[in-house]
Amino acid sequence: MASTRDRISNGFVSFLWALAGIAIIGLMWELTKLIGTIIDLPFNTSNQAMPHIWTMFSAFSLPEVRGSDTTVFQAVLAASTYSLTLALGGFVIGVSVGLLLAIIMQRFLFFERGLLPFVIASQTVPLIALAPLIVGIGNQISFGPIQWSTTYSVMFIAAYLAFFPLSVGALRGLQAPSSTSLELMRSYAATNNKVLWKLRFPASIPYLVPALKVSAAAAVVGTVVAEISTGVRGGIGRLMVEYARETTSQPAKVYVAVFGAILLGLVVAAAITAVDVLLTRNLPKKGLA
Amino acid sequence: MTTTFDTGSALAISNVSKVFNKGNENEVIALSDVNLNVHTGEFISLIGPSGCGKSTLLRVIGDLTGFDSGSVQVSGKSPEDARKERLYGIAFQQAALFDWRTVSKNIELPLELAGWDKSQREVRSAELLEMVQLSEFGNHRPWELSGGMQQRVAIARSLAVDPPLLLMDEPFGALDEMTRERMQNELLRIRLDTGKTIVFVTHSIPEAVYLSDRVVVMSPRPGRITAEINVDLGERTETTRESDHFFHCVTSVREALRLHDTSGTSTSSFRGEV
Repeated sequence: MASTRDRISNGFVSFLWALAGIAIIGLMWELTKLIGTIIDLPFNTSNQAMPHIWTMFSAFSLPEVRGSDTTVFQAVLAASTYSLTLALGGFVIGVSVGLLLAIIMQRFLFFERGLLPFVIASQTVPLIALAPLIVGIGNQISFGPIQWSTTYSVMFIAAYLAFFPLSVGALRGLQAPSSTSLELMRSYAATNNKVLWKLRFPASIPYLVPALKVSAAAAVVGTVVAEISTGVRGGIGRLMVEYARETTSQPAKVYVAVFGAILLGLVVAAAITAVDVLLTRNLPKKGLA
Repeated sequence: MTTTFDTGSALAISNVSKVFNKGNENEVIALSDVNLNVHTGEFISLIGPSGCGKSTLLRVIGDLTGFDSGSVQVSGKSPEDARKERLYGIAFQQAALFDWRTVSKNIELPLELAGWDKSQREVRSAELLEMVQLSEFGNHRPWELSGGMQQRVAIARSLAVDPPLLLMDEPFGALDEMTRERMQNELLRIRLDTGKTIVFVTHSIPEAVYLSDRVVVMSPRPGRITAEINVDLGERTETTRESDHFFHCVTSVREALRLHDTSGTSTSSFRGEV
């Protein structure tokens, strides 16, 4: 079908634009360094502070630690994969809770009035203050033989950041159907659950998809930050801290970890785009941005 | 209140009143002492200026809104029971088709909610698509259809569970004149085929006259019925709209509307006229 072909060719063009964007950033980086050698810039452009792009890429193949068989690249990949599983866990929990809250708030005006301020207030608490608290409380929890692990705290924090955009977006989406559509459902003697399932839910998709994107990004950022503030090992957040300590000897190493974090973000963004295409394939191509 | 109970009648409304914002400074009497009887198979139009309560009356019949006093019987039942037993179908000015469903699936929505089997639903929607002459469009998406076609789908959907009563709230209001006239003919044909009782809200005088057996004229502040005009045009043909008799009926309705338009420009007091 022509529309499918259009979509694929559009996708290819977007891909080229993305590559061009990355190339421009690299070019500007090198240009800044070059200008720094000619005039005095207000910041340090030495190879120590801003390694060359090619130095960063050559750092991929450095040994992880002196004398080890694994390279930095392998270590970053492993850490990114680990962080991805934590982010995914947080995302799934956050989305489930966010959706549930939105459904409750939509159904009962009482809860919208009572719950929404707390939902909003929850996001004003700084993560730095929250992380030790969650770890502290979490460590005292055990369900029989199952002991709370600090990785759960990381997931919890990721979920804590992810639930909010989804909850607010889903609430708007569930409230989106026109009064005519709602009266129509009433004329069919549809129960509240049927209205939710056959009208409110599908009508919320155009609002849900952008909310999912924001939530996914929040889950990734939440995971990385939570790894750093809780000190969980194995993830990309911890790796960044470790590599940053080696700046004096290996200034390019920390950038490999940054690339890992970017890769993490891209994988998640691609997954959500796939979900987007799947969910909106039968909808007119207008929607929200 | 006296309760009119007439099993032969499709709709019996007696002494119905409804007030919006009761006791409040914005109090509006939407319906004041409305009496109306519609017998089975009759086509009536409710006509009047904005705010005369014609849409409110339709919503009261469909139990989409309540009323404060009087009684309403739809096929001898309360509006709530009639709604829950799916005794009426409804169509609005907006077709309100669901974008995420195909045309067929839109028509099948009321059937799904009424618990029909998949195979029965498919047979029924194919039947209805044929009735509104859209058989080739069952697998299309609603947004791919023109406004007139969307409204035909909405009418097919309102007929899905084969309810005895059809409520229509300005269903052709958003269509251009040509499409509108074609849709009117189509509705009359469907009515002839199905024998439904139809309550039709409009603010087009020629539309009301062309479609109806009886035109019910309403007037605002307070919303009430001010005249009922029987239209005895007989079978509608291509020349009906150009006949003297048609113009005569249009004139009668127009005069009935004008008679009560004395307060048309005054918005000073709502309660003064009670």
